[in-house]
Amino acid sequence: MIKLQGLTRKFNGLVAVDGLTFEVGEGEIFGLLGPNGAGKTTTVRMLCCLIKPTGGKAFVGGYEVGKDALRVREIVGLLPEAPGLYGELSAYRNLEFYAKLYGVPKRRREENIERFLKMLGLWGRRDDPVATFSRGMQQKLAIVRAMVHEPKVLFLDEPTAALAPESAKTVRDFILELKQERRTIFLCTHNLHEAERLCDRVAITNSKLIAIGSPSELEQKFGPSRTEIRLERVSRKIVDAVRRLKHVKGVEVVGDKLMVEVEDPEAANPVIVEAVVKHGGRVRYVARAVHALEETYLRLVRESEA
Amino acid sequence: MRPDRVWEIARKDMASVRRHKYVLYGLIGIPLIFAIFIPMASIYPVVTSEEPLDNKLPPFAQPGMAPKQAVVTGLANMAVLMFMFLPAAIPSTIASYTFVGEKVNRQLEPLLATPTTDLELLIGKGLGAFVPAMAATFASFAGLVAIVDVLTFPLFGYLLLPNLISAVVLLVYAPLVCLLSVSWSIFISSKVSDVRAAMQLGIVGIAPVLLFYFLFMGGIVSLEWMTLVAFGLVLASASAGLFALSKATFQREEILTKWR
Ligand SMILES: Nc1ncnc2c1ncn2[C@@H]1O[C@H](COP(=O)(O)OP(=O)(O)OP(=O)(O)O)[C@@H](O)[C@H]1O
Ligand SMILES: [Mg+2]
Repeated sequence: MIKLQGLTRKFNGLVAVDGLTFEVGEGEIFGLLGPNGAGKTTTVRMLCCLIKPTGGKAFVGGYEVGKDALRVREIVGLLPEAPGLYGELSAYRNLEFYAKLYGVPKRRREENIERFLKMLGLWGRRDDPVATFSRGMQQKLAIVRAMVHEPKVLFLDEPTAALAPESAKTVRDFILELKQERRTIFLCTHNLHEAERLCDRVAITNSKLIAIGSPSELEQKFGPSRTEIRLERVSRKIVDAVRRLKHVKGVEVVGDKLMVEVEDPEAANPVIVEAVVKHGGRVRYVARAVHALEETYLRLVRESEA
Repeated sequence: MRPDRVWEIARKDMASVRRHKYVLYGLIGIPLIFAIFIPMASIYPVVTSEEPLDNKLPPFAQPGMAPKQAVVTGLANMAVLMFMFLPAAIPSTIASYTFVGEKVNRQLEPLLATPTTDLELLIGKGLGAFVPAMAATFASFAGLVAIVDVLTFPLFGYLLLPNLISAVVLLVYAPLVCLLSVSWSIFISSKVSDVRAAMQLGIVGIAPVLLFYFLFMGGIVSLEWMTLVAFGLVLASASAGLFALSKATFQREEILTKWR
């Protein structure tokens, strides 16, 4: 559905996006991860035909970005970094305006506006001027605006930034619902937890593509494996015993938890637990360390910057 | 070009403008001043005063009439010419908000992402400034006509306005001046990123009107058909040139990066 071939954008000397090449399939939720200034917004803007690439090519829905700009714009929806709504107009009027520019027929327009506003919990406020909305409500309204013409491909630039946890959940559920309708969703995010939960595949970039794959693939391939063991009480003796074990690469104590870095968790974990118990440790639970993608991500970005 | 999209863009801008208090006050207040203040300050004193001396007539007095009528007709024509200031000044106030204001508020990005063509956007936004400016001009002119006729009917015994000059000014010059001003505003919106700066620069758009006005007041040109046609041609070519310039400036894929 989306295809990038060496897509590049320079801003007088600064290479914001450097030769990105990858594909996103139909119905896929794809996440673009990267630090600030990694070129995520620039990439999305190029794919929506808002700025011209300075090198390479890209295709969206089979249409070439730049050449078939009007066709591309017809089939994509965009949530930009800033919501950019018309504060003096009502929520409904904002949506109606965009729906008309996308040529959505009246019946369809009314149905869509109602359906999406209800899904994101804004229907009751439809007649209020947008200027009276909170930042989070504006963000949700801007997401509805991006969907009002039911685009095949939806670009979301940090959809849950500025949202409180329960709103973020509403938006994530909304995105998953859209996936059920086989829409292709391309999102930029800093929230790795979210990427892990939503995305079928992610790309980690820092101008250049660093890694690409499903979150679990990336963790397996690049991430350190960590096992988290929570004890009743951590003692020196236990820590030393664990550190001496063959499969263990490092141990860190965080409160009443041992964070053990291992090469092959499935082989190592039973041995570690045995050692802990033998040295008088009482195990409350054993788990794979969370934020695995986050660690992978941080390591890859650090390495790319080195 | 799809007229429904163009009109929707214009309609939305007009709705936005209606909700900007200061723009709205200007849109109502200035035409009101033009309609009432100008005739009351210029024509009323002459109508109510002594017959002026034949050899002391101002340069803009209409030749071939009794002195008082000549002065009043000249003043009425001047008031009519003044009306070109409205379509020259109003669009820049509106366009400052709907172009520069929207750029600053980052409202252009989602708009540029829609499948509208460059020309549709340009004309839609231009129309959003053109229509209210022309409406205000016509409404204000109707007020002027009423007041001038009430003041001058006893003197002339017929309705002084509307006359041929006012028809030319309203139906030919005003739209051209308006187009000139809109194009100029679009051009400067690509250069500035501050609503006030845009408004101040936008006022430069009244220059040709000002020039013509002073040429007439000083008696350097008179309102014969040659002058009228010449000025019309100057306006038409200037607005066509500026429109082409603003169209060339309006490079959609540069706006987000270069329009700062
Ligand atoms: N219009 C522009 N002119 C010059 N440089 C630009 C422009 N837009 C972006 N850049 C530069 O390109 C780089 C990438 O910016 P971009 O906004 O794409 O990053 P991002 O990944 O979206 O960052 P963030 O996470 O902060 O949103 C930055 O170094 C930025 O300064
Ligand atoms: Mg960004």
